[in-house]
Amino acid sequence: MHIGIDVGGTHTDGVLIKEGRVMAAAKEPTDGDLLTTITSVLRKLTAEAQGHAISSVNLSTTLSTNAIVTGTTEPVAVFAIPGPGIRAENYRIGDPFIVLPGAIDHRGTVTGRLRERDVAPHLAACKAANITAYAVVGKFSTRNPEHELFVADLLRPQAQVISLGHRVAEQLNFGRRVATAYFNSAAWRAFHRFAHALEGALAELGVQTEVNIVKADGGTMPLALAREIPVQSIFSGPAASVMGILAAAPQSEDAIVLDIGGTTTDIALLLDGTPLLERDGITLAGHPTLVRALQVTSIALGGDSVVRFEGGAFRVGPDRLGPCMAAGGPAPALMDAVNVLGYAHYADTERSMAGIRELAMRQGSSVRECARQIVDTAMGILSRAVGEFLALVNSRPVYTIQEILQERRLTPKQVLLIGGPAKALAPLVETALELPALVPPHSPVANAIGACLTRPTQGVVLTVDTARGRFTAPGLGIMKTVPRTYTLEQAVAEARALLSAELTRQGIRAHADDIHVLQAESFNMVENNVTIGRNIRVRCQLRPGVLTTLAA
Amino acid sequence: MLRASHSLGVIFFPAYDWSISPTHPEREERLLYTQDQFREEGVFDIEGIGEYRPLVASPEDIARVHFCFPSVEAVTTHSHHISAGGAIRAAGLVLDKERERAFAIVRPPGHHAMRCVHGSRGFCNINIEAIMVEWIRERMGNVRVAIVDTDCHHGDGTQDIYWHDPDTLFISLHQDGRTLYPGTGFPAECGGPKALGRTINIPLPPRTSDAGYLMAVEGIVKPILDHFKPDIIINSAGQDNHYSDPITNMNFTAQGYARLTELLGPHIAVLEGGYAIKGALPYVNLGIALALAGVDYSAVREPDLDPERIREHQSTLDYIKALCDHLPQVYFEPTQREEVEREGRFFVRRRSIFYDTDGITENQIERLRDCPYCPGWLHVESASDRVPKSLGIHVPIQGCDNCVDEADALFRKAQADSSFAHVQLIDRVRKRIRHAR
Ligand SMILES: [Zn+2]
Ligand SMILES: [Zn+2]
Repeated sequence: MHIGIDVGGTHTDGVLIKEGRVMAAAKEPTDGDLLTTITSVLRKLTAEAQGHAISSVNLSTTLSTNAIVTGTTEPVAVFAIPGPGIRAENYRIGDPFIVLPGAIDHRGTVTGRLRERDVAPHLAACKAANITAYAVVGKFSTRNPEHELFVADLLRPQAQVISLGHRVAEQLNFGRRVATAYFNSAAWRAFHRFAHALEGALAELGVQTEVNIVKADGGTMPLALAREIPVQSIFSGPAASVMGILAAAPQSEDAIVLDIGGTTTDIALLLDGTPLLERDGITLAGHPTLVRALQVTSIALGGDSVVRFEGGAFRVGPDRLGPCMAAGGPAPALMDAVNVLGYAHYADTERSMAGIRELAMRQGSSVRECARQIVDTAMGILSRAVGEFLALVNSRPVYTIQEILQERRLTPKQVLLIGGPAKALAPLVETALELPALVPPHSPVANAIGACLTRPTQGVVLTVDTARGRFTAPGLGIMKTVPRTYTLEQAVAEARALLSAELTRQGIRAHADDIHVLQAESFNMVENNVTIGRNIRVRCQLRPGVLTTLAA
Repeated sequence: MLRASHSLGVIFFPAYDWSISPTHPEREERLLYTQDQFREEGVFDIEGIGEYRPLVASPEDIARVHFCFPSVEAVTTHSHHISAGGAIRAAGLVLDKERERAFAIVRPPGHHAMRCVHGSRGFCNINIEAIMVEWIRERMGNVRVAIVDTDCHHGDGTQDIYWHDPDTLFISLHQDGRTLYPGTGFPAECGGPKALGRTINIPLPPRTSDAGYLMAVEGIVKPILDHFKPDIIINSAGQDNHYSDPITNMNFTAQGYARLTELLGPHIAVLEGGYAIKGALPYVNLGIALALAGVDYSAVREPDLDPERIREHQSTLDYIKALCDHLPQVYFEPTQREEVEREGRFFVRRRSIFYDTDGITENQIERLRDCPYCPGWLHVESASDRVPKSLGIHVPIQGCDNCVDEADALFRKAQADSSFAHVQLIDRVRKRIRHAR
């Protein structure tokens, strides 16, 4: 039996799943103490398990997000080693923000020295200020982490947490790595307290099992890893919902996913049935990070979006004045028009009728005609947003002639809907987007199902410079020497092996076929007309996916 | 967060699956470290800077500029269509006002490709800037264009294409042709008889560094640009003036390139040469991109930079100072400096052109109609080791009715003339491209 819990901003949902069947679901308002809410949901679900063993508890939580957004984080000292390029001052975050000398270039060559005496005075100042949380980030540290490691060694005696750039994110992007490492240290203590309390609560309920935390990229990580990189647990809500849909209605083709709420609709895209990821990462409190996330676009349109008649036309949203009139709200909303047209029979349809009638009188048309125009306006907003999103995704830069000539455009064959108004809006969306629409079973708890059934994601990035015999896999902290004859094929095999070993170490079960090679490139490095070696880049990933799909 | 004061579109296309040969300077690795640097610096996180894919230039886009003998397909590969398409994309972004400026970081380069193309010269097959400019004029009509070529090599291809065009100002700054390929680009080369002073060549002594280079830009290029008042300024942004470039002898730096870009303020910059792929390109491209966007570039410098070691001699500065004093006359008081041969109503040029990359020699006779109403139509007889005598006929976009008719008549006549292996017509007035054989 598996438990999945999604802690949302307003509600916390939980499900208990056994062999692909949802055995129980629980919903609680998210208020007061987070842990109390989670414990209460856990209690309900474990009671339903009737003594059967729980083999995993997966949690999607807003905890670190909240800590960061509400500013209840602790002071973090950031040590930046920028080298030449854009001025480091532009990435200022944390207090103090210390810029050190020293430089490493794109090939991982040290091009500027960093000495202990450059760091020492700052150590003393931080100690005097009682700072115990640190982030250390060097430019190109993912190609060669030696400067970051050097500063970390000096900091260790006075630090409780040190987030190193090359460990929190393997991708290139110095500014984002600075922010990611900072947020990781800022959220670290709050997450630790929470993890500790959660383990206590589980023990009290008599549940002895692995605990996983859902990430924004739609995968999970074991709690132990989450304690090292809590920043990866932020903004996992939308990902949980998308993964829930994939568990209930597995896809193999391109598709659009719509999560329609009261005031907003989240749009995600599937390429060959797999959710599309952001190129870099999400933006947190105004700072772009390298926290990988599903690419999701949000538009201000939902069941409660208020309807206004202005300048001879209807406007739907972007705001909400309360629930729709059917549910006792003060003004007609999109859902009222849907009620009038008979697509739904939600709550008090008479109130919907009254609200729309008033608008119809002002416009001088029939109630039905008026409702139709409102719905058309809303669907217009939706299809424009979907069209723009697809255009954006389909114009992503590519870097080889092959990719230009064999252009792979994302062309949806299906639209999947979840959220409160999903069932009622499905036929309208079907017409507006000219695609078959499907509301998967268990749609109201898709988020918790996704949290429950999504499997880990984990990647390995490695670069090899055969001229220098240097092999670097920064995320795993591996730097070693390889012979000059080292080949791309060897690198791919080694990346796969390293990822498998890392998964095993974390107690993650995965098949070799689940590992996808995202990049495998080898460039001849030439100096003075002679090939001196190869620059090899390999990226492997266990892609987002679900452990099992729900039984029909 | 950083914000661009001029919005900038970057078309980054490294063509990771194309090279002239495995160890050729024009190989897969060339833009690899530039991409690393752009990613690590988060260039595309700067508000106002966006990345775009290139378009693919159509055969028509290429045939609008070049006489490709025997055909466009025979002298180009996909890579050329895409790098020209990258430049076109850059122009489209600016024309559509989606971006104020654009930078096409694409390969292969194009500025050695002349009007007639039989193969590859100086790593170039087709002229990507000219293809872009004529794409712009196809849409906008005859806009005034200034092309400033800051590649270390003389932009002889672009010079050739715009030699007779009074509405295109072509300025090339380069290492003195007596010391570097292609061996041309002297001040006396200043435009055809109908476009005198519209070609400006500024040869600089080897080992010129930032001070000398920027002195030439401020003393010669700026006053001419300000006077010409172009609608569009294009920079052929070759980066082989860099002190670490393996195939040239100049001492320019990333800071120098960034300052140069700031001074020129081009709407569109297009990468040309530059083969110090590890030590220069990442920093120079970054400097140019930031300068185009109006973002602080003051901390962009090469790790191994030693300004003292590369500083030019006072004699070099004195020489350039003298250039600044008299070279602007080429534009402001244009006079015919080279002998022009005439055949009746035609001006004639006879030339032999060597294609170093492909080892081809081309012989051509170019005739320009001396027309009182327009810059005149042009026809070129061209033959090479690969292609027997062929004919290209070009009517400029400013062409008068008479020139259009005369060119048309010659095209008809030549169609029936079996002494030409190929006959091609580019009529920019009626937007016609015709190939016979
Ligand atoms: Zn060059
Ligand atoms: Zn004429």
